[in-house]
Amino acid sequence: MKLHLKFDFNAICRKVLNEKLLEHNIKHKIVGFGEVKLLEKVSADRLERFSNDLTAYSIEIVENQKSILVQKIKDTITDMVFNNDTPTNLKASAYLSDTLGHSYGYLSNLFSEVTYTSIENFIILQKIEYTKQLIINENLNLTEIAFKLNYSSVAHLSTQFKNTTGITPSAFQRIITKRRELKSQTN
Amino acid sequence: MHEDYINIILADDDEDDRLFFSDAFDELKITTRVKTFNDGVYLMDYLNSEGTVLPNVLFLDLNMPRKSGLECLQEMKKNDKFKDIAIAIYSTSASEEDIEKTFVMGANIYIKKPNDFKTLKKVLEEVVTINWQYYTNGLNKDNFLLRL
Amino acid sequence: MPTRILNKSWLIKSIFFISAFVILVIGGTTYKKIEDLSQSSALLTKTYKTNVELEKIFSHLKDAETGQQGFIITNDPIYLEPYHTGRENINYSFAELKVLGSDNTTLQNNLKELNILIDKRMEYFEKAFRFSSVGNYEDQNFNENFSNGKKLMDTIRVKIKGMIDSENQLLNKRQQTYDSDLKLTPMFLYMVLLLSLVLMFLTYSKIISDLKKIKSANEQLEIFKESTEQSEIIGKQGNWIWDIEESTFIYSDNLYRLLGEEPQSFKPTLDNFLNFVHPEDLEKFRKDIDRMMTYADLSFIHYRIVQKNGATKHFKACAKLHKNVDGKKQLLGITTDITDEIEHFKTLEERNLELERNNKELSAFNYVASHDLQEPLRKIQTFLSRFEDKEASKLSDSGVLYVDRIKNAATRMRMLIDDLLQFSRTNKADKAFEVADINTLLENAKLDLAESITDENAIIASNHIPSIKVIPFQIQQLFSNLITNSLKYKSNDRTPEIRITYSKVIASEEPRILRPKKPYYHKIKFSDNGIGFDNKYAENIFVLFNRLHNKHEYSGTGIGLSICKKIVENHQGFIFANGKPNIGATFTIYLPFL
Repeated sequence: MKLHLKFDFNAICRKVLNEKLLEHNIKHKIVGFGEVKLLEKVSADRLERFSNDLTAYSIEIVENQKSILVQKIKDTITDMVFNNDTPTNLKASAYLSDTLGHSYGYLSNLFSEVTYTSIENFIILQKIEYTKQLIINENLNLTEIAFKLNYSSVAHLSTQFKNTTGITPSAFQRIITKRRELKSQTN
Repeated sequence: MHEDYINIILADDDEDDRLFFSDAFDELKITTRVKTFNDGVYLMDYLNSEGTVLPNVLFLDLNMPRKSGLECLQEMKKNDKFKDIAIAIYSTSASEEDIEKTFVMGANIYIKKPNDFKTLKKVLEEVVTINWQYYTNGLNKDNFLLRL
Repeated sequence: MPTRILNKSWLIKSIFFISAFVILVIGGTTYKKIEDLSQSSALLTKTYKTNVELEKIFSHLKDAETGQQGFIITNDPIYLEPYHTGRENINYSFAELKVLGSDNTTLQNNLKELNILIDKRMEYFEKAFRFSSVGNYEDQNFNENFSNGKKLMDTIRVKIKGMIDSENQLLNKRQQTYDSDLKLTPMFLYMVLLLSLVLMFLTYSKIISDLKKIKSANEQLEIFKESTEQSEIIGKQGNWIWDIEESTFIYSDNLYRLLGEEPQSFKPTLDNFLNFVHPEDLEKFRKDIDRMMTYADLSFIHYRIVQKNGATKHFKACAKLHKNVDGKKQLLGITTDITDEIEHFKTLEERNLELERNNKELSAFNYVASHDLQEPLRKIQTFLSRFEDKEASKLSDSGVLYVDRIKNAATRMRMLIDDLLQFSRTNKADKAFEVADINTLLENAKLDLAESITDENAIIASNHIPSIKVIPFQIQQLFSNLITNSLKYKSNDRTPEIRITYSKVIASEEPRILRPKKPYYHKIKFSDNGIGFDNKYAENIFVLFNRLHNKHEYSGTGIGLSICKKIVENHQGFIFANGKPNIGATFTIYLPFL
């Protein structure tokens, strides 16, 4: 006996995906063929477990492999900047390839492909974000921040701040202070 | 990211500027949906109506008839519904103080309308990218200030 | 002046009293002396009389003796006549002498003795008569009696002579005292007279000099009064004195004139004055007057009056409490007609407003022009860039050239508009001063120019500048413009270097600060090693649109340094340029300590 089946691969995939996503308790929306939109932030760990589950169905998360790695790069950089637990003499590139076990060239290309920015820019962005936090919350001056973040000079830090945000650190501080004053007035 | 659209709205009364703006996004690699409005009243009506998909980035011209960019900014800052929208002031030029004033009032980005198309494209790309960084990396949006 | 004379009146008073005392003394002494004199002369006369009487007594005695002898010889009673009269006269003389010698005990004693002697003599006379009447001349008793009489006569003579001598001695003594009195009295009187003359002369000269002073003081007062009147007329002022206790007024002539009346043409009272006060100001004026009565003092009050011809004038008055010599309270007041001032002020204010309006319009125009021109220009440039991107390949060579020229022109226009806009922004007056860290402003300016500084490899060195009260944005702009200027006019054979030095200076020690508004200034100096300029352009360099170089050599608009000057002037400061061709330029900024 022969059965002639007509498969709607798309529907099957949808069903499987839907079940698995529900199983992993991930809010989602299946957008179309081969595309799922996650409606919440999902940690790299959870995504990895979800991804492992899917291998039984020979479904591979194509983008996610990259995404996970990119996320790992970002996490590493954020850690590096905010927790400054990295040896100061080590270059970011070396540190990243050591920690993630990939060549820096590979990481760099992957990162740019996915995020449209370079690792270097991302590091700078994170450093400047950290600087902003330190200016506002810790009330540190630029000299102290430059030292804390391993900048060669205050000028270097403020130039980078200006180049990244378009405003000077002092203007930034002034704006945030005035904003808070304005808020406390209206409240 | 590129599997998703980035929603962008521009409110500007100048037709040419709206044209440059849309053209620039058309030529960028980033997938965006650009909507434009002729003035602040149209913009706010749209934003306040039910079921509207709120934009990721909103570009506001300052000098608009009926409702100026600053009025829109103030209105939006009062409403928590709009707190996730990055607001970019998109204006001809202003003094340093005026720029700071818009920041203090809650704008995240100040863009001086560039003098050539290439720069315009570059600037808009940067805005979208950096905004995306904030969006995806859970950075403190309160500290998001960018001047281009 | 009058007080000085008043103060000296005690001198005149004391001189007067001294003189009166001296005259009294003179009178007293003179009286005493004259009395002494007359006493001495009376005594003299007495002595003389005494002597005369004594002589008389003796001569009477002699007469009596002669008579007795004649009688005895002739027994003619006719000779008895002198004897009897002699006796009588002796008695008279005695009586006289008793009176004369009443205050002279020696004389009285002597007289008594003499009396006894004379009595004895008379006894002998009587005895002799008894003998002669009986003609018993040969009687021994008669002879004895006769010789006794003769002896007694001698004794009397001696006695009288002694008395006369003693009287003469007394006379001599008195004569001497009298003489000395007579000699000393005029001397003494003369001296006292001289003294009083000197005193009188002193008093006289004092009075004369005081009179002179009073006269000149009076003259000055007269002049002063005259000039006060003049200045009242010229200064449109009127004086008044208000005696508070008696509530009386004195108005100066000009006060009447200010009210449009003839001098002293009506009684100066408060009510009469109130008639002139403008009805709208009356209530306030009354209040001011009440206040003046209560506090006896009046700071400036302003009110209007209406003259009889209907003209309204603006008055300003003030008064001061004054206590006169008697302790009477008086208000001394000055009223000024300030109508002209007020009118001038009004015109000035109007003109100022007009000027301000014009200025505002001008800067608004400038702002709108430069601001609004930006938009079409930006579109031209943007369309041009689109055109270049899309259509350049289809253009002929000359077409490409033209597009390029259009682009250049548009770029230059952009620069001009940007600078003009910046200039008009620095014109706005409503900028807030705040204490700012100047070093940060300098760093910010450097950040703004980071790209060109890096491109030129420029070295910018500065020493520490303290925080200063400034308009921060403008100072940053100032620094930014100065650095831009130095970088633009850099020398081609050296690395650009800008040295910024700071010092605190005293205005008076800086010769270039001509009219300092504050005593201390911050001096910030920008020195570069660029191409410099001829120092004769040191002033022109700041003039709007003034350029020292052809625009093809250097792409300036001639606005940048004008903005610098504007900013420094907004801060009430000074900016000076100093140049040496091919060595460099120095810009010195002085900002006041606020």
